[in-house]
Amino acid sequence: MRRLLPLLLTTAFRLAVWCLLTADLSRLNLLIGLVVALLLPRAHSRPLPLRALLRALGRSLLAVPQAYLEALRLIVGREPQEEEISEATTDSTIPLLVFLDVFRITLTPFTIVLGLEDGGRRYRIHALRLRRSPAADPATGGPTP
Amino acid sequence: MTLASFADHASLLLLGAGLLLWFWGTWPLLESRSYLSKLHALSVADTLGSVLMLLGLLLRIPGQWPLLVLALLALILWNTIFGYVLANCSLASRREPEP
Repeated sequence: MRRLLPLLLTTAFRLAVWCLLTADLSRLNLLIGLVVALLLPRAHSRPLPLRALLRALGRSLLAVPQAYLEALRLIVGREPQEEEISEATTDSTIPLLVFLDVFRITLTPFTIVLGLEDGGRRYRIHALRLRRSPAADPATGGPTP
Repeated sequence: MTLASFADHASLLLLGAGLLLWFWGTWPLLESRSYLSKLHALSVADTLGSVLMLLGLLLRIPGQWPLLVLALLALILWNTIFGYVLANCSLASRREPEP
């Protein structure tokens, strides 16, 4: 199952895109879509861990409402501060998981992934942080290292 | 209120909100801010604003839903990943001066 999963996923995704593009669910069109999906070249991929994949997908979907909340906070908040943080990767050996992680982090307006660091073990993230109050922040922070 | 007029009003609201996010995110591009903070603002405008507009269009012309859903998916994925690509490129140019 784990070995078949990449094939099933790519084929299902391509077939779904084909159906959306043609807006036609007749049997012949589905057959053509399936043939196209199978004939297009595929990247050689390692077996996918299903549980980690579902978790990454769920977190990516949750990032969408979170992105809107952050956008609202960014719009109503005062001028934010920039900083660089890092976050551990889920599994940097599986490209799909890295893609979902990068998507989840970059989608939200407060964080953008800059790249991988530490030999692929951590993401380098550029983040915004809202200042609490003008009194608490005397603007002498200087550049972050 | 009938369902059709409700959809009409809701779509207007979504289109308006999308336009608002667009303008809010485009304004920082004209200011002298750091490259990356412009990218943060742009992700609000480009991705989130455009998604709201497409949802508004979805309510307005439901007959075209397959293409609109495809556009929605492509927009979210491409915009977000392009943001990452641009951020990553800025990292490369920042490292260049070092020996």
